[in-house]
Amino acid sequence: MLTLRKPLAFLKKDFLMEVSYRFSFVLQFASIFFSVVMFYFVAKLLGDAPSVQNSLSEYGGNYFSFVLIGIAFSNFLSVGLGSFSTNIRSEQMIGTLEAMLVTPTRLSNIVLSSSQWSFAFTSLRVGVYLLIGGIFFGVSFSGAAVLPAILALVLTVIAFSSLGIISASFIMIFKRGDPIAFALSTSSTLLGGVYYPISILPGWLQSLSYFFPITYSLRAIRLSLLQGAGFSEVGGDLIALVIFSLITLPISLVCFRYAVARAKRDGSLAYY
Amino acid sequence: MADVVLETHNLTKEFIKRKGFSSLRNPFEKIVFSAVKDIDITVRRGEIFGLLGPNGAGKTTLTKMLCTLVLPSAGNGSICGFDLAKQQGKVKNKIALISSEERSFYWRLTGKQNLDFFAALHGLPKKVAARRIEEVLEIVEMKDAAHRRFQEYSTGMKQRMGLARGLLADPEIFFMDEPTKGLDPIATWQLHEFIRTSLADSGKTVVVATHHLAEAEQICDRVGIMFGGEMLASGPVKELTGDASLSDFFRNLVEQTMVEGTET
Repeated sequence: MLTLRKPLAFLKKDFLMEVSYRFSFVLQFASIFFSVVMFYFVAKLLGDAPSVQNSLSEYGGNYFSFVLIGIAFSNFLSVGLGSFSTNIRSEQMIGTLEAMLVTPTRLSNIVLSSSQWSFAFTSLRVGVYLLIGGIFFGVSFSGAAVLPAILALVLTVIAFSSLGIISASFIMIFKRGDPIAFALSTSSTLLGGVYYPISILPGWLQSLSYFFPITYSLRAIRLSLLQGAGFSEVGGDLIALVIFSLITLPISLVCFRYAVARAKRDGSLAYY
Repeated sequence: MADVVLETHNLTKEFIKRKGFSSLRNPFEKIVFSAVKDIDITVRRGEIFGLLGPNGAGKTTLTKMLCTLVLPSAGNGSICGFDLAKQQGKVKNKIALISSEERSFYWRLTGKQNLDFFAALHGLPKKVAARRIEEVLEIVEMKDAAHRRFQEYSTGMKQRMGLARGLLADPEIFFMDEPTKGLDPIATWQLHEFIRTSLADSGKTVVVATHHLAEAEQICDRVGIMFGGEMLASGPVKELTGDASLSDFFRNLVEQTMVEGTET
């Protein structure tokens, strides 16, 4: 139980901090509702046009359920890419990082634990997206294959987090102006099929999209939740995510170790 | 010497400054700047050691090296026998850093919630932490204010909460960086009393970095005077100063060093 004590302490602290800003807390959920309503009307505008049906046939042909999952789960992209660097920078700026670093808690533990709340809160937000879609707008998840979707989600979090840790390494050294998060976030949203299927992209852009983990994540999650696809159908996407994680995770750990050693040498660990 | 809890040999910290585009001839030229040079210190258990020096003397960099926040460039040091560079985790179990930086707490949380969080980072099990938090709040006389948000505390209360956090894991050595900065005379006197009676008398070691010479004279058993990253003199206050006051001795020493520096 003692091993969970530190991560749980971070979770509790961040929860208390979050709810101490009550209005912002409530507002975040309100913004989900408005975002879902907006896409509902966009979907209504597109209606049952044959071009939409054709492009989305793989996912059941309904744009609203397609985009609902896209915007909901792309939250994990943002949080995976940004939360490590944002949280470290925030602790540097409010002045608490140094106080944490003189405790016998490793910096890697601090970085990982301080992002837990972001992931927990994002899971809650994604749940609210799906709930609103299901209750108010008739999206059906009755045939969903939950286990493949959960596995895809776990692999997605690992893949995005590896990139996020590389991004945090940049912040550790350069403090601002991290190119990794910016480039990946923009490209992933553009090419990963968040708002539209990648099949509508020109061929060369489609080829590029396969270099981004979000392409596999969204495909696997959509197929599992909307079409009830099992492991055999989304296996290729899951393997792609595993390969992606196996490559990026060790790179991210090496980058992070180098960044910490350099910041300690420079004496700039707590600077911002 | 079994009771030595802090020892350094030739401890040095050099920082690299890049000239950047201020130097158009060679924008990538690096300048090495020694913030701390060849420091030898020995501090014994129960001692109050003062690190004195003007701003920029290297006190804070030295304190950060002793707290493992900055890696030394050369030399070595140990805390309770553990190497500063190689056994950082073990060193951190033996130390507490109490700075005057009141922003090192979460202002939206209560004092108790802050202590609860830092107790977990120190690895205290939940029940032990709950008991210890009660004890330290009692010691720093903050029990009644424990459930108020940190942002509502006065400067003195924030400083006491810093002490409470330092006491949580019952460390061997307390590093205090400008501990009385911003405190009124009564709070300063209370803090001095606390350092003397609650810490040093119970066998704890305190290293105080300060530029308040009167403060050092009042509470320190021994002092080390730093200037330009070097330790100019160290020893018991009375032995160093003789009949002169610490402030006269300090001024003469610094002036003499500056003259020597100009001549060479």
